[in-house]
Formats: sequence, C-alpha cells, structure tokens
Amino acid sequence: MSDTENMIVLEAVEKIYPGSSSPAVERLDMAIPRGEIVMLIGPSGCGKTTTLKMMNRLIEPTGGRIILDGDDVTDVNGDQLRRKIGYVIQQGGLFPHYSIADNIGVVPKMLGWDKNRIKERADELLHLVGLEPSTYRDRYPRQLSGGQQQRVGVARALAADPPVMLMDEPFGAIDPITRDRLQDEFLEIQRTVGKTICFVTHDLQEAVKLGDRIAVFGTGGRLAQYDSPDTVLTSPADDFVSDFVGGGAAVRRLSLLELSRLELHPIETEEKAVGNRNGTPVAEVDGSGRPVAWRHLPDRDAAGTTLVTVPLSGTVYDAVDVMLDGSASLVAVVDEEGLPQGVLHWNDLVAGLKTRERGA
Amino acid sequence: MNVFQYFSANSQQILFLTQAHFLYVLICVGIGSAISIVLGLIVSTGEPNPTRFSFDWWATGIREGSLLITAAVLTVPSLALFVLFLPITGLGVTTAIIVLTVYSLYTVLRNTVAGLTSVDRAVLESARGLGYGRVRRLLTIQLPLAWPVILNGIRVTTLISISIAVVGSIVQGPGLGQLLLTGITRIGAANAFPQVLIGTFMCLVVAAVFEIAFAIVQRLTIPRGIRV
Repeated sequence: MSDTENMIVLEAVEKIYPGSSSPAVERLDMAIPRGEIVMLIGPSGCGKTTTLKMMNRLIEPTGGRIILDGDDVTDVNGDQLRRKIGYVIQQGGLFPHYSIADNIGVVPKMLGWDKNRIKERADELLHLVGLEPSTYRDRYPRQLSGGQQQRVGVARALAADPPVMLMDEPFGAIDPITRDRLQDEFLEIQRTVGKTICFVTHDLQEAVKLGDRIAVFGTGGRLAQYDSPDTVLTSPADDFVSDFVGGGAAVRRLSLLELSRLELHPIETEEKAVGNRNGTPVAEVDGSGRPVAWRHLPDRDAAGTTLVTVPLSGTVYDAVDVMLDGSASLVAVVDEEGLPQGVLHWNDLVAGLKTRERGA
Repeated sequence: MNVFQYFSANSQQILFLTQAHFLYVLICVGIGSAISIVLGLIVSTGEPNPTRFSFDWWATGIREGSLLITAAVLTVPSLALFVLFLPITGLGVTTAIIVLTVYSLYTVLRNTVAGLTSVDRAVLESARGLGYGRVRRLLTIQLPLAWPVILNGIRVTTLISISIAVVGSIVQGPGLGQLLLTGITRIGAANAFPQVLIGTFMCLVVAAVFEIAFAIVQRLTIPRGIRV
C-alpha cells in the first residue's frame, strides 16, 4: 500500500503500555505527505508524543505498521533507522561535552563520513541556522543561549540530510519573543530544505502558524481531526476539537489569511481622481510612488485620517494590527516596493472577507 | 633521640615505607575503582521501571544488591576485617590488598551509579533519537559526563584508604603502618613517639601527593565543555 505521495504512513499503529489496559495510541491511520509540516497537537496524555516517537521507533508500537518512504520499517534495526531521521527535542538536548561543531557532526560521524566533509557540513548548517561558524563552531553548548542551542539542535538533526524530521516541542521552553523568531526562521529554513516534518506542540498558535496540516489528538490516542489549519479552526470535526480550538478561533483565523489571497478594494493615486463618485480612495504618493497620505476619501475627511500601510505578504491579522495602532478604519496594502495594491476596510472584516483562488 | 634525629637516622627506611604505602593505596584503589566502574557501567541502566526479568530488571537488582553489600563492608571495623581474612589468605600482602580493595568499592560504585544515572534525560533522549545504541551511549555520552563525579569518588576513597592502609600492617601489610604500629605498641619507650609522629606526618605527605595527582588527572581528563 506504499505510495510515493506520502513520506510516512502509519497503518493501524497502536501502543498499549505494559500494565495498562487502555491504549496510549489507538489504531492510528495517518499519512504524512512528502515535504509538508504536520503538527501533532492535543491535551497532555493524548498520545501525540507517543505517536511521534513511534515514527522513529523510540517507542516500539504494539501493533500496526510504519512505512517510511515506501519501506516497511516496523522491524528494522531501530538505531540504524534513527540515523536516517532527524530528531529535535525541547532544549535541544545537545551533548554538553562536545563542541558545537562536534554536536552537529555526531550523525555523519556514525555514518562514517570523513573528517573534512563533517567539518564543512557543520559550517554549512551553522550558516543555515543563522550562527556564524567561525564564532560558534568551537564553543560549547553551555556558552550558548537557549535559542541558540535550539538552532544547533535543528542543525544537528539536519546534518546527514535526512528526508524526515521529527520535532518534539522544540520551542516549548523558549521565551515568547525568541520563540516567534525561531518559528519564522524555521519556516525560512523549511523553504530551503523542504523536509517532511512532524512537529509535536501544545500551542495552537504555533500549530496554526507552522503547520501545513494539523492533527488534533483526543484523549486515549484518538486522532480527532487531521486537516489544514484553516479547516481545523473554521470547521472542527467534533465537539472535542471545537472545545480544544476554543474561543477566539475566528480571530486566530485572521492570522491565517494572507492579504495576497484577498479581493482588495481599488486605490487611486492620480490627482485627477479626487472627488470621484465611485468611492475609490485616493492616496498622495511620494517620488517613488509610495503612498504617504490620503488625498481624498469618500464619505470622510481625508486630512483627518492617518494613512497606514501593510505589506501584501502579511496577514489580515497584521492589517487589523496597523489599523488599531493608527486609529484608521482603512489600510493601504502595498507590495514589496511599497507601491499601493489595494485597500482593506474595517467593515470588510465584519462583512466577510472575499478570497481569491490561490495562485490567482 | 628527638624526631629530627630519628628521621635522619632512619630516613631510608622511612622513605621506603612511604613509597610502599603510596603504592599499596594506589594498587588497591586502582583495582577497586576498576571493578566499581565496570560494574557501575553494566548495572546503571537509567531505566526507572524495568519490566520483570528483563536485562534492566536484573541490572537494577544487582546494582542495589552490590551497593548494599559494599556499604555493609564499609561499616565493618577495618581491624576486624583484616583479621577475618586471615584464615582464608593468611598473613601478608595478599590479605592486605584484598581487604583494602574491598573497602574502596563502595564510594566509587556509589558515585559511578549516581553520576551515570544523573545525566540529563534530554541528552540521553536526543542521543537515542539520533541513533546511538546502548553501548555507544554509555561510553561516549554517559561516562564522560559522569566522569567528574566518578573521579571525585575515587578521590574520597583514596583519602580514606590512606588511613585504613595503616591498619593493614597487623596482617603484615606494606606501608607506614609498620612504623606506626611499632610506635603505638611501644608507646612510652624510646623512639616510640618519633615513630608515631613521623608515620602520621608521612601519611599526610602521601595524601598530598595523591591530591596533586588528582588535580592533574582532573585537568587532563574532564572534557572542556563541562569543566567548571
């Protein structure tokens, strides 16, 4: 039943701990598509970590099959298997007695790479995770901050270029500001490396931000819903998921909607458009075409309204943020060069946001 | 004769006994530590709840058992233990070495077990997750990280052994005990007091030499990343 679309397939995988009558994970079927980030989320004790650890057989399943890249790995040597799967845990789990470069090189070393290649790879990865190799390669873990250690943890997992990465709450113990930055960097890295990633988290915000798909686990290791973040938030499969997603789902959805996917109102920059009857706002632009102030707004005083802008690459959440910040009821959406692309009104939020087809 | 006169008159014998004392302790602590570390490595599984009759289960049992026995041995007065071995191994160096070795087991074993099991769970888990097998994990991760604790155990055991070694002379063991024992049994007689004083002083010299050696070993063998 192996297919090339999916990197990891779990077939009726089950875990019953000895001495326990109820399963920690109950006959789980799950397919993780190649190159996607799948977030495993749920309340504590729901079996999300057990599920993750069964994928690299840190925990041996008591039933079912695990298929990795088309091969049944349910019974192969666990240590050999794990060398081919990246693994990142909370706080990095770096070896304190190894230098940063040696930490990154542990898996390549076990795989028998030669010294120079390991050294080059360590430098390359340090660079990828944003740590200057010449400064950091000879340091020891305790000389690094928590966030830096976590970056090294990710670099170490990537060292032998495994197609799959398993991450167990990697950003769980990191302060919110650093976590936010690490998440952005993580997405940036994923754009470069395109791994298949399984990521355990207890933070819905994180799941929504990072995941291509979210797997919500219910108590007793039941997979309650496995869908895109948008779908999980807007149409929870059952009461459990809707309870788990909780209030505020509508607000959280704002951070999912990219402005580039919205049908925006037109904006004018020509002076002669002032006083038009079609309700199109007119902005005053500077020498390079960037809007600086409102020249004309239908139905209100243009001079009294601050012109706020938000980049097209942002989300509706960002747009709301700048509107609240600038006490403006509309925002000009600009592209990378700062040129106006359209307008989003406060009322649009309530009236329902019109989205375009993706890629349009 | 006062102490200094006694020392200069018998300096050769005193230095010989000091040297013998040093080697006696070195050999016993060496053998004892080797046994304790190897045993500790085998039985420190780090598995808190092993399944019945598994390797870890047996290891846990052996670990607790050997800690109990070696601790019990340590509480037996040293004088008695040396004498208890007399019927088996007789007078001489063999008995002296066996008893002192047995005394040195507990501290090193206890510290080895404590050191190996106190290695950060996150470090062990990530090692497992990266594909480290049991033996590789034990030797390349746990042992180096536990080493400062183990080394401290050896150090403490060495200091204790220096004084216990003195008692070894009642079974005709080597070292400064001969000098001290002669002095103690003849206390009040001529030269008895200088013998006791010099014997005690030379024990301190032996201890100092060991301390210096440990400082060097520590510097050389504790990995840089965990040196405090």
